[in-house]
Amino acid sequence: MLDRKVKIKSVRDLGSNNYLLTLNAAEQARLIRPGQFFMLKCVEEVDENPLLRRPFTVFNICRHARSGRPAGLELLIKDVGTGTRKLVRMKPGQIIHCLGPQGNGFKVSAEMKNRVEMACLVAGGVGIAPLYMLAQDLMRQNIKPVLFYGGAGASDLVLREYFEKLGMDTNYTTMDGSFGERGLVTEPLARFLHKRAHRNIRVYACGPWGMMQAVHKLSERGKLQCDVSLEARMGCSLGACLGCVVRIKDPHGEDRYLRVCQEGPVFDSRLIDWETEPV
Amino acid sequence: MQLKYIMNRKKELLKAPRMAVEIAGVRFKNPVLTASGTFGYGLEFANLMDLNSIGGIVVKGLSMKPIKGNPPPRIYETASGMLNAIGWQNIGATEFVTAKLPGLRNYETKVIVNIVGFELNDYLEVARFLNDCPGIAALELNISCPNVEKGGFHFNKNPKDTYKVTAAAKKACRKLPLWVKLSPNVTDIREFARACEDAGADAVSVINTLVGMAVDVEKRQPRLRFLTGGLSGPAIKPIALRMVWEACQAVKIPVIGVGGIARTEDALEFLIAGARAVQVGTANFYRPDASQRIALGLQEYCRSHNIEDINELVGSLHAYE
Ligand SMILES: Cc1cc2nc3c(=O)[nH]c(=O)nc-3n(C[C@H](O)[C@H](O)[C@H](O)COP(=O)(O)OP(=O)(O)OC[C@H]3O[C@@H](n4cnc5c(N)ncnc54)[C@H](O)[C@@H]3O)c2cc1C
Ligand SMILES: Cc1cc2nc3c(=O)[nH]c(=O)nc-3n(C[C@H](O)[C@H](O)[C@H](O)COP(=O)(O)O)c2cc1C
Ligand code: FES
Repeated sequence: MLDRKVKIKSVRDLGSNNYLLTLNAAEQARLIRPGQFFMLKCVEEVDENPLLRRPFTVFNICRHARSGRPAGLELLIKDVGTGTRKLVRMKPGQIIHCLGPQGNGFKVSAEMKNRVEMACLVAGGVGIAPLYMLAQDLMRQNIKPVLFYGGAGASDLVLREYFEKLGMDTNYTTMDGSFGERGLVTEPLARFLHKRAHRNIRVYACGPWGMMQAVHKLSERGKLQCDVSLEARMGCSLGACLGCVVRIKDPHGEDRYLRVCQEGPVFDSRLIDWETEPV
Repeated sequence: MQLKYIMNRKKELLKAPRMAVEIAGVRFKNPVLTASGTFGYGLEFANLMDLNSIGGIVVKGLSMKPIKGNPPPRIYETASGMLNAIGWQNIGATEFVTAKLPGLRNYETKVIVNIVGFELNDYLEVARFLNDCPGIAALELNISCPNVEKGGFHFNKNPKDTYKVTAAAKKACRKLPLWVKLSPNVTDIREFARACEDAGADAVSVINTLVGMAVDVEKRQPRLRFLTGGLSGPAIKPIALRMVWEACQAVKIPVIGVGGIARTEDALEFLIAGARAVQVGTANFYRPDASQRIALGLQEYCRSHNIEDINELVGSLHAYE
């Protein structure tokens, strides 16, 4: 974990309030694992509002053309409020504070290689962000990733060409039917899993709470392991403020909480009490 | 040339301002501490700053048994501050002493333990237990947390109750100095500071968070599941400063200033208003090395203003004629 001042290399408008932010953060890019995140100060001055840094996962590592060594971080940012609005309005050359990498990422351990044949990557909107690095990691370990990517309309399905370039099978859904199948992303996922019952498939999901809950239920029905990447408002990302907790299922109905910044943000979906949304 | 450099350096060192302060016989190497609940158990920050650079660490409020805390959402950012309703989540005193305190003992920084309780006996039990643990410099009695139903806050509603809990805790503390952390959610903080002094407290920490609230207008729901929360951060600094000033007028025991301290200048304001030491809270979240920077900044200020001893600053406020 490092706290560094990093330079903004570029901010690319992807439409529908999505932006691709590139940071010159080579040192931190070398440390990142899929699913981990960084805390970014959304303005240059530390004492300016918004005070608290915001958590963002990493979409991709950019590399030096010749050496292939990590040169920076690419983050997919959706402008949803005060902090993200200021962040995406920053200009190349400006400097911001960047703390990380933080948290536990996706588990893609070598030991599961022999058992898992396939991985379903399920994204709702900006939830696509942590899945590109994960897809690359899975492929490196010879696990076939299949993408299920849903959004409100075609313009919400940003950066999908990255996944297509990897040669992945992709399934798109939109609520308005403007691209791919009309409806929820869980519909093609349900069909896919139904057709392949008894196969050893692992599921990874990131997106709105309700979507992840639905993916969890589908996985549970198929007795599949499902990892979800959760969101929570964060104060510190250091495990100190206890502001970011998610409620955990307890067999005795007792209160139990885990910190999204420390024990997460990626959790086994069976752990989560899906009745208590943390944001 | 080199000799001249060494001589100058020596002069400089001789001139280095004395930064240490004393509270109830305990010496802190400088007056900058971290506030309870904003610095975890200290070790979380070890990679991001030099823990030895500050005077003390006040750890998260501890109870005898672990407490699970409130359901989320627990925090919400507001203009220049934040609301929190954590609800006393902590690992319990035994776990703290076995798992965290040994790590903290590797540092020369003083450790103060903030203690919480629902009933009088809860406080006394933790106080007695911690008494015998080496590596603790003082206890800070938290009777001012607004985020627990039936939390210790009822001891901070009437000065008589404040007196009672302080006197009993002081007895339970035996050899450890006792600080009492006061709530700003009262009409006159001076009465409460006096009650603490009369009951034998060694110092008061002023202030805890102010009760606040925020609403999500789309969902028409409170932003915090607990409904209300404690407001902290730069937004509360002027109130904290005023209350520290008032407390300093009312009592002779040291007053420790807390509330919205994020920069060196903030800390200076509190010291000049009369605080013997300061605690940095919410600022740790967005600038993990805030306390170290402030400790250095104070030294720089003393040097540039020819102040030999930081204690000269304490309470040096000049009112208008
Ligand atoms: C581990 C993690 C990784 C994340 N990765 C990404 C990412 O790669 N790209 C991306 O665009 N976003 C990501 N987010 C969400 C992002 O942190 C929030 O959108 C951001 O903090 C909102 O800040 P704001 O100041 O713009 O919003 P605010 O003005 O504070 O709030 C606007 C709205 O966003 C909601 N909100 C506030 N904070 C969060 C939060 N931490 N999580 C979810 N909703 C929140 C509020 O409830 C409110 O409805 C991630 C969150 C977490 C916890
Ligand atoms: C997330 C959070 C948790 C806190 N927990 C405690 C606590 O356990 N005990 C306590 O006495 N004060 C607690 N406080 C209050 C702080 O110690 C401090 O008094 C207050 O935040 C004002 O200082 P600040 O504005 O610098 O943060 C907490 C504050 C925050 C923001
Ligand atoms: S964000 Fe502070 S504990 Fe997780």
